[in-house]
Amino acid sequence: MTAAVETRILRYRPRQRLVHWLGVGTVLTLLVTGLALLWPPLSFIAWGGVGPTLHRVGAVLFMALPFAYALLNPRQTRELLVEIFTYDREDWAWLKHFPGYFLGHAAGLPPQGRLNAGQKLHHAGTFLAFITVSLSGLALWFLKGSLGATWLPVMAMLHDVSMLAVTVLFVGHVYFTFVYDALPAMTTGYVSPEYARLEHARWLEELTPAAPAVETPETDEPTEIVVQQA
Amino acid sequence: MGQNAILVDLGQCIGCQACIVACKTGRELAPGEAYIHIREDVRGRFPNLTGSFVHHRCFHCADAACVAVCPTGALSKVDGLTAVDLAKCSGCGYCVDACPYGIPEMVDGHVSKCTGCTDLTQEGQEPWCVQTCPSGALKLGPRESMLSLARERAALLAKRFTSAQVYGETQLGGLGALFVLPDEPLAFGLPEQPQVPTTITAWQRGVQPLTQGITGLSVLATALAFVFARREHHREKRALAAQAAQGEAGDDSGR
Ligand code: HEM
Ligand code: SF4
Ligand code: SF4
Repeated sequence: MTAAVETRILRYRPRQRLVHWLGVGTVLTLLVTGLALLWPPLSFIAWGGVGPTLHRVGAVLFMALPFAYALLNPRQTRELLVEIFTYDREDWAWLKHFPGYFLGHAAGLPPQGRLNAGQKLHHAGTFLAFITVSLSGLALWFLKGSLGATWLPVMAMLHDVSMLAVTVLFVGHVYFTFVYDALPAMTTGYVSPEYARLEHARWLEELTPAAPAVETPETDEPTEIVVQQA
Repeated sequence: MGQNAILVDLGQCIGCQACIVACKTGRELAPGEAYIHIREDVRGRFPNLTGSFVHHRCFHCADAACVAVCPTGALSKVDGLTAVDLAKCSGCGYCVDACPYGIPEMVDGHVSKCTGCTDLTQEGQEPWCVQTCPSGALKLGPRESMLSLARERAALLAKRFTSAQVYGETQLGGLGALFVLPDEPLAFGLPEQPQVPTTITAWQRGVQPLTQGITGLSVLATALAFVFARREHHREKRALAAQAAQGEAGDDSGR
């Protein structure tokens, strides 16, 4: 065995990582400036109208981001949308083990593709909440003053519930990232073969169809197995 | 202290606007900001015209929609009046839509609405407008005595204006600003029986605390589970690594 050899697998390209972190930034901005309207300890953010203005700037970026990405990468976007709303038998089998996975047990679970069933649910939920939070937010923004005392609270309730969905999904997403040491995938863009084998065995197989799992190349350079997809 | 009320007698108002000036000065309002608006209202057909000065100012509803909708507690009921704590206001603007009378406005990112001068009334003083009114159209006192005074005055006024009446006795749980009107409420654009929409209550009492509570709980629960789950997963990874090492050794010897 050659000790210095390192194999890494490309998981997210720079543009995907950029979109991801911009998304995180806007969601956190929206969450803090939004909660500032409800929670007195944060009310100072709203002084002079700063909070509500930031919320609107954040909202524009937040809504523009997915559209910008979809325009630049139409095929990947379509594939992603199909992927997150398609669940096969292995996904359901995996979901039955979700409580164990939540508590830190990934070994022995049904092999998963590029996204595991939990990630698919997270992405699908985020996609749906994106729509409701945007529509209700636009109503609160542009129809304030004409919605009237009955419908304003209805829109605010929809916004609140969407906010809840976004936040709980966000918290869960961060949770699994740190329980399973998945952060490098989105910072460096690469994951280790051990990680891929444990978490996304089917994906790993698809990437290296000819080879039996991962070959360790006979060089001292870190090599990459370039993913021919999203 | 008991329930106070402000009496606004439109039969006595001479439209001098002294209350507006006193309010602006006393409450240190921004240029262009005002808690009281007064317009002259002319009704009927020539030559049978009647006129009066109409005050547009907070009605201090007992069941106040603005208090119900305010998410920060900046608006609250104090001795029957609807008080404002500007430091708590987040500028969300929900009270603007909620008020059935269209009273609150947004100025400089915070609410602008009559505070009832509750800082003064709690020290036994009268609100700025009441202190200043030269014609006796404005009074502050316990709601019961204000109500009987209002009735007396409306009865007097009814000799000249047959529809004269008191507004605010029953509306929205009883208003903290009792108006003596020379005519029907609708003539002044005042709704007979305004309502607080149930969606406001459903939102502030139900959905909002629930969503905030669940959001907070999810953060707490995952924080607790995190410590445990991470330890479990690392244990699992070490076991897998050990297995793999063993497997490799086994493969080598088998070939
Ligand atoms: C992750 C996304 C978002 C989060 C977490 C979020 C959070 C919040 C929260 C907590 C509130 C206070 C709700 C309440 O009063 O009950 C709020 C209010 C509001 N949100 Fe959002 N929001 C998000 C996205 C958006 C978007 C996309 C828009 C606009 C298109 C938007 C526009 C508004 C508006 C207009 C208000 C009313 C308050 C104001 O006028 O500033 N929000 N948001
Ligand atoms: S009149 Fe409007 S602002 Fe005044 S207490 Fe009633 S709801 Fe609130
Ligand atoms: S604008 Fe201020 S006073 Fe009005 S509902 Fe929002 S926090 Fe309350």
